[in-house]
Amino acid sequence: MNHYAFWSRFIAGRAARLVVLLAAVSVFLFWLVCHSPIDPVQAYVGADMLRVSPEQRQQIAARWGLYDPPPVRFARWAGALLQGDLGTSLIFRRPVAEVIKERFLASLALMGTAWLISGLLGFGLGVWAGYRRGSAVDRAVKWYCLTLAATPAFWLGLLLMMVFSVWLQLTPIGLAAPPGQLAAQVTFGQRLHHLLLPALTLSIVGVANIALHTRQKLLEVMESDYWLFALARGERGFALLRRHGLRNIALPAISLQFAQFSELFGGSILAEQIFSYPGLGQATVQAGLRGDVPLLLGIALFSALFVYAGNLAADIIYALVDPRLKAVRA
Amino acid sequence: MSPKIWQGRRGLVAVRGGHHWRAVWPVLLAAALGLVLLLAGCGSSSQPGEKGGSGEGQAAAKAGELVLAIGGEPDAGFDPTTGWGRYGSPLFQSTLLARDNDLNIVKDLATDYQVSPDGLTWTVKIRTDARFSDGKPLTAADVAYTYETAAKSGSVVDLSVLAGVQALDEHTVQFKLKQPRSTFVNLLITLGIVPKHAHGGDYAKNPVGSGPYKLVQWDKGQQLIVEPNPYYYGSRPAFKKVTFLFLSEDAAFAAARAGQVDVAAVPHMFAKQSVPGMRLVAVKSVDNRGIMFPTVPSGQKTKDGRPVGNDVTADPAVRRAINLAVDRQTLVNTVLEGQGRPAYTVCDNLPWWNPQTVIQDADVEGAKKVLAAAGWQDKDGDGVLEKGSLEARFTLVYPAGDSTRQSLAMAVRDMVKPLGIDITVEGKSWDDIKQLMHANAVLFGWGSHDPLEMYNLFHSKNRGVEWFNPGFYNNPAVDKYLDQALQATDPAQANKYWQLAQWDGRTGLSALGDAPWAWLVNINHCYFVRENLDTGKNRIEPHGHGWPITANIVEWRRK
Repeated sequence: MNHYAFWSRFIAGRAARLVVLLAAVSVFLFWLVCHSPIDPVQAYVGADMLRVSPEQRQQIAARWGLYDPPPVRFARWAGALLQGDLGTSLIFRRPVAEVIKERFLASLALMGTAWLISGLLGFGLGVWAGYRRGSAVDRAVKWYCLTLAATPAFWLGLLLMMVFSVWLQLTPIGLAAPPGQLAAQVTFGQRLHHLLLPALTLSIVGVANIALHTRQKLLEVMESDYWLFALARGERGFALLRRHGLRNIALPAISLQFAQFSELFGGSILAEQIFSYPGLGQATVQAGLRGDVPLLLGIALFSALFVYAGNLAADIIYALVDPRLKAVRA
Repeated sequence: MSPKIWQGRRGLVAVRGGHHWRAVWPVLLAAALGLVLLLAGCGSSSQPGEKGGSGEGQAAAKAGELVLAIGGEPDAGFDPTTGWGRYGSPLFQSTLLARDNDLNIVKDLATDYQVSPDGLTWTVKIRTDARFSDGKPLTAADVAYTYETAAKSGSVVDLSVLAGVQALDEHTVQFKLKQPRSTFVNLLITLGIVPKHAHGGDYAKNPVGSGPYKLVQWDKGQQLIVEPNPYYYGSRPAFKKVTFLFLSEDAAFAAARAGQVDVAAVPHMFAKQSVPGMRLVAVKSVDNRGIMFPTVPSGQKTKDGRPVGNDVTADPAVRRAINLAVDRQTLVNTVLEGQGRPAYTVCDNLPWWNPQTVIQDADVEGAKKVLAAAGWQDKDGDGVLEKGSLEARFTLVYPAGDSTRQSLAMAVRDMVKPLGIDITVEGKSWDDIKQLMHANAVLFGWGSHDPLEMYNLFHSKNRGVEWFNPGFYNNPAVDKYLDQALQATDPAQANKYWQLAQWDGRTGLSALGDAPWAWLVNINHCYFVRENLDTGKNRIEPHGHGWPITANIVEWRRK
């Protein structure tokens, strides 16, 4: 098959899938929201409920268009969505797209760092443990991974905060910049310093998955005939690993790494809550707790897109790394 | 863990070796460790900290600066016309009237105000020297604009009683109300005035106002940095920069322990901890918790089909007996670990509170007499009283997940058990409670600096309206006092009627009268405050944490 034909079919296919996915997600989400027990007016009024009269409640509901039947509201929301308008967040009183963009940019540094660290470290540890199967290193890595797989991220975050911020006073308590400092004066070093603990929390937990899968895959490779053959020919050490191991286990690791996008998103919600890091995760929690329907819908759509992008990237890299897949997957 | 997992599967070939590999790891580890130390060092070397720790400990200790972690980020921004500032002073804006530390009404922007005898027209004179933080003068037109905009905003600012507002001249503004409403004064106290000339789409992010501080920077989700407003007409604040950190309660406590903040708001459970260099300031509040009882017999339903009434709690003797038997001080000592005080009404110690409502509680014998006099007896000897075929059993619901309310509910259950009253305690979601609240007792919490709350909770007009009077309480004498309080044209006169509604010597909405509620406790709001910071006289705070403590921030000083 010709190269261009493959890629153009690939792109068209994926684009079509994305449109169907987003449409399905939109309808499903809206259906869920309409059947949720949360009364958005009550969620908005909150503790002011004795100071807000029934007349005022009606005014709030009218302003938000809550009196229309669900299909009308869906049509209005979807129509605006097609024109690129995600609506206005009720709690932030600003366009949803603006809130998501602002929050995601903040989260990006955190998620990106954690993603890279956990991927590299996880792959490295997995290879090391698998290659030295049964050794002390292997046991240590497995112990570490199994323990962490059972560790809630928020608990680990609190622990790190107690040790490094409160006892040792090495790291800040949270936030993305030093308190009281004007934005223009915040240095790159300070930003990194504030990123350290949340990124560490996210990546420490993220390592387990990649390391264990990589280790398992390497064990399979090490039992294969071609590995045995290479050993028989006298190949040893890193050269053996590089020639016959790494390339074979890279693919599953890459696909796992990109599939981690969804977990990354979930993990960042917890990490951001603990470290008061002003990202999308924090906004998601607020939108959920306070029934901010437009924002919740916007974030859900965005996260669908985000996870889809992760999977798509994995597929593209697959096709690039292993040309055999082109024939099958196209 | 089984040894199998520890050892892993033994393969066909035992692999050893990999010298390159072995040599690489220590180097990588050393590099990673070095990077961490470098980054950690980065913060402390660029800003040498007072305690040699993180550089940020020092920000809090700077003489002219203040770092507060009191929570409560206003997500929607700082626009009073959509609700900013309604719990305390709006900081950036100023209000027509204000409350002093004893909660008396004092003048702020207003120099004088008058209410017409029919209570429908309020005329306010405003000061001539007020300027916004951009230097432009504040006039009556700005006031009228603020109220008009807030009325139309469809937000939590409820101005539905306002018929119209008009600037009579530069410095006089006139409000017309639809009905007389003495509590309208609380809107004059809480609604910050925005400038007509600078109130656009971006206002909530960049507020311009006539208050003591002006906004310098707001990092959403993180912090707010403010500086004194050079044009402020009042006394100048002592701090040239104040930073509000928006941290979770755990993080705020951690920040206090790490020496990074001057004030940290913490839940009352944290109060027994100690923080080096800080003292605990426990501020009294009307953040109360109490049990609401359905006061009508069962059998009815609301329009949307929710059951109304409860035969047991409909008997005033049962409600009075519970009020008498509950030991409020013990609730404070155990459930709140001392951080609170007994509650007898929705408004303890506020200007419209009737001090006569304090009853002698923990009186099990007295409670038994009340029940016996009303015909409750335990004939079958099962420990639960009966009156005819009716057994003294009912359900008390509380919002699941609120451990304080859960403990209170269970403690009350145990305290009334010796009386022969059997309470079943159940945790539910607020949405479930909304369905159940007309037919079951509910552990609610209220407390506001606005007596309108009392009107909404107890006036028969509000039976079954939203969350207002879920127990369907109805007493025409109380209604009359509440109406008179609302129609009063003078705050002192209004307060008198609010007090009579609680107890007039014969009847009332307190435990002395119909006892439609059993108020239990007021929870202290706890703050860790740096030793050298004087926060002045703290006023009794309303329900909800955070901003109320800043109401007198202009008075704060370093000692």
